[in-house]
Amino acid sequence: MTSFWRTHSTGLVTLLLLLPALAGFFGLFFYPMLLTVILSFRPEGQIVGWTLQNYGTFLRDPDGQWVIALTFLLALGATALSVLLSVPLSLILRRKVRGHQFYRLMVLVPLVIPGLIGALGLLLFWGPRGWFNLFLLQFVPFVTRPVAVNYTPHGLIFFYVWLYFPYTCVTTLSALEALDPGIEEAGAVAGATPWQVLRHIVLPLITPGILAGSVLTFMAAFGAFSVPLIAGGNYRPLAVEIYKQISVPIPARWSAASAIAMIMGALQVAFLALYMRLVRRMGGAAAGGVR
Amino acid sequence: MRTLARAYLRGLWDGKLVLGYTLLLSFSLLIIAPFLMILLRSVGKGWFGRLWFPPQLTLDWYRWAIEVGNIPEVMKNTLIIGVIAVAVSTVIGIFAGWAFGRRRMPGKEFLMAIVLLPRMIPPITYALGVAKIFYTLDLVDTYLGVALAHVSVCAPYAILVLATTFEALDERVLEAAGVCGANTLKRFFYVVLPLIMPGILASMIFSFTHSYNEFTLTLLTYGPHTVTLPVRTYLAVGDGYWEITSAMAVIMVLPSLLILAMIQRRAKPERLVGGFKGV
Repeated sequence: MTSFWRTHSTGLVTLLLLLPALAGFFGLFFYPMLLTVILSFRPEGQIVGWTLQNYGTFLRDPDGQWVIALTFLLALGATALSVLLSVPLSLILRRKVRGHQFYRLMVLVPLVIPGLIGALGLLLFWGPRGWFNLFLLQFVPFVTRPVAVNYTPHGLIFFYVWLYFPYTCVTTLSALEALDPGIEEAGAVAGATPWQVLRHIVLPLITPGILAGSVLTFMAAFGAFSVPLIAGGNYRPLAVEIYKQISVPIPARWSAASAIAMIMGALQVAFLALYMRLVRRMGGAAAGGVR
Repeated sequence: MRTLARAYLRGLWDGKLVLGYTLLLSFSLLIIAPFLMILLRSVGKGWFGRLWFPPQLTLDWYRWAIEVGNIPEVMKNTLIIGVIAVAVSTVIGIFAGWAFGRRRMPGKEFLMAIVLLPRMIPPITYALGVAKIFYTLDLVDTYLGVALAHVSVCAPYAILVLATTFEALDERVLEAAGVCGANTLKRFFYVVLPLIMPGILASMIFSFTHSYNEFTLTLLTYGPHTVTLPVRTYLAVGDGYWEITSAMAVIMVLPSLLILAMIQRRAKPERLVGGFKGV
């Protein structure tokens, strides 16, 4: 017994240290997922029997296909716009311009406030009586009617960008700040214009950082629930569709909801795997280009 | 000729600066404007039509929010649930973070990926299962139940932050303390604890933020006794009283801004986004 303890004590201690985390993982994530998988194969409202019908109905339904397409459209649109906003912003913030700490704080604001509050404020701001439309009506010629932003797909994309661009921006900024200034100086000394330095040295080097951040933005936008719930109107992405299945019909359609949840999880994992591979390849290419 | 060229270049440079500041200012405006609109809506009266600002000011909406929206009760629920969630996630995070950061084990990368997996999957997908389980265990509409649901979101962040904190702990510093004659207990209290305290605080702050903002899992596990602030806001939005909702939002956003100030001062913001290792 003592010899067993002596040879295995470190392993046992490690296991004991990991125990709470593993318990939490299995109790709060793995088992619920397992239950959802099983439920998704059960006929609606029953606890025995197996069927693929829940998946079939959703995937064959044109509405279901539209929901999936919309979810991807919103998430990809928001990710692309976030990158377009984050790169110039971090290039400026890197220069430590006057008041840069204030602007950095502004970048973090959407991260710490509850998503619902952000959505509420955005609904007020972009609404027909909000400042955005007031500005358009008073200062932009030929605008006589409020422009519809709320409860439209492009409005949702704006909202997603507002809420989720910090993931991309913070990662891009930290990639930029980790950059060795010597490399840029070397480029300048070799006769490259600032634009060329940016295009051929800085951007390729920070591409992995940008892509890593954009993965986070994509995940947040793909899984967004609270914002499209109150600001989506008739446009319901997957997360809201799942919730509708268990909140609107009586009795709640748990099996249908579980099937959609499984489809959503599978799509996200598949897309992430693809994206990670792309990121690795591009990261390698960028590093190779500099070498 | 030369001065002209210099002036031209100078103008270009200034133009760049102006462009940069314009971008920064419009960006800040875009971030702040929604909050200003909430604030004005929450104190405005008779604000209809094409007006930039409310014509009259009032605090009535706050009275309504507190009396009808039951904000003190809701705030109490949110804080209790947050404290439980933070305590559980921090304990999990300290143990697992120590194991991941400082101990050797087979398949560490795999185990770490497993434990961090909940961050890669949209919460709504496992929230369904959590709700089903909690219904059978009678955990729905209890503080512990809602807090445990929050742990599934908070704990991965706590583990990630604490693992990096413990990993950064330098073995040589501990040895130096030992050489100087400090025993294990003294070493822990005077050397290790001060070194890891910032990390633990950061992990607690982030866990609390996530619990405070958590909506998806709360919506599926809450009941009449455990309404939290995000759920209350959602219900108020459903009722359609924008003024009262705005008043609630103002009350609710204040702690978040406080936390933001703390994060800015004490913790690295990169940790908040929880960057991926190995991407």
